[in-house]
Amino acid sequence: MSDSRDDFVIALRYSLLKKGAKQKFSLFFLIIFSISIIVLDKLSMSPINFLRGLINDGVYRVSAVAAIPGKGITFLSFKSKEHFNVYNENKILKKKIEEFKLKNFEDIFLLTENQNLKLALGLEKVKIAEEYTIIIAKVLVDQTSPFLKSVLINKGTKYGAVKGMTVFSKNYLIGTVIETNYLSSRILLITDLNSKISAIIQDADVNFILSGNGNKNDFILEYLPEDFVVEPNKIIFTSGKDGFLKAGMPIAKTYLNKNNEVKVKSLADPQQASIVHVTRGQFKN
Amino acid sequence: MLILKYIKELLSKSLPVLLLYYLSFNSFENIKALPNSTLFSFNFHMIIIYFYILKYPEYLGTGHIFLAGIINDVVLGTPLGTSSLSFLAMCLFTSYIRNVTLRAKMTAEWFTFIPAIFFSNLIFFVIVYNFSNLSFYYIELLRNSFFTFLFFPFFYFLFNQYQRRFKED
Repeated sequence: MSDSRDDFVIALRYSLLKKGAKQKFSLFFLIIFSISIIVLDKLSMSPINFLRGLINDGVYRVSAVAAIPGKGITFLSFKSKEHFNVYNENKILKKKIEEFKLKNFEDIFLLTENQNLKLALGLEKVKIAEEYTIIIAKVLVDQTSPFLKSVLINKGTKYGAVKGMTVFSKNYLIGTVIETNYLSSRILLITDLNSKISAIIQDADVNFILSGNGNKNDFILEYLPEDFVVEPNKIIFTSGKDGFLKAGMPIAKTYLNKNNEVKVKSLADPQQASIVHVTRGQFKN
Repeated sequence: MLILKYIKELLSKSLPVLLLYYLSFNSFENIKALPNSTLFSFNFHMIIIYFYILKYPEYLGTGHIFLAGIINDVVLGTPLGTSSLSFLAMCLFTSYIRNVTLRAKMTAEWFTFIPAIFFSNLIFFVIVYNFSNLSFYYIELLRNSFFTFLFFPFFYFLFNQYQRRFKED
């Protein structure tokens, strides 16, 4: 009994302390060093945060370069699929153009009427998008990890990015800034499990929390009233009750899936975002 | 010619190290071009570390593993040092197995990979749970661990062939 225990201790000690030709550090030293880094990171002191910011900036830049081949492959596969779909899409689009041409006449009439009425009432013109936008940034790396849904952008505190800012892609909310460095920032996507947005649903007077589930086609509606039944094809808007998101921004939509279940999908496609708008809390176009 | 030969030799020798760094910078989890790729996500780092520490420890330094872990943490956004400690736990377990093994067999090495993954992931999640506010789906981790275990023989064969060919050259 004691012999086998001795063998175990000897083998373990040998594994921990042995240094070979390629092994310049013992495992014991590196394990202690790792634990120290975790503890120092948790303490969040300003010199450590500064150092972490520097490391983050450096690694993100290299990571963006390292992601180029992978992005290239994804881009090629996407483009080849797109190429095969283009003929059918063209047919459908031609039909739609005809329909839109008919509708256009109606819209022009309504637009003219609206402008004339606004002038008559002396209303101010609607603010343009640039006033709400702080930064326009490029996505450096997108994480499709099964655990974390986040993207890295190429603008940081140097350009005015602050933790908690909201991020939009193609006019739809895609996430919030959770980490800022000098030259880069990390955005937690709305699809992430840790993302919680207070929201309301179209044609109903209920408040709830829209929570990410790792999938853009499967959001969770938390804290809904017990007797409330979610209907398909309803838009979900921000309620503005969380304090930093303005009320009335469309985020998601309910739909019926193949199994006739009502699910919630994002209006934006956060993983496909390449250029994003980092804003104070609202973005209108 | 001599320079080219030297570069080729250097690249061949450093393949596991280069691969580990590349995967860390790229936060590799799956082959993203495939449909439903996240379903088959696996931890390639673990496979490389387990294989090379078990079979060819002279080609993969623990210092590199530590640094790759730090880079992985920065890219993924987990607390700094978490992946490093998890990878080093894998090294410790693998090194222990190598020391106590008398006759190496592929199947035995494959099955000892299960406790190695478990031990390594346990450390990762204990740290994430205690040192950050991140939430995870445990079923995703289980699936990831299962596919890491499942794909191991394929990469075992691949790396073995590569190392043999490299030694013959």
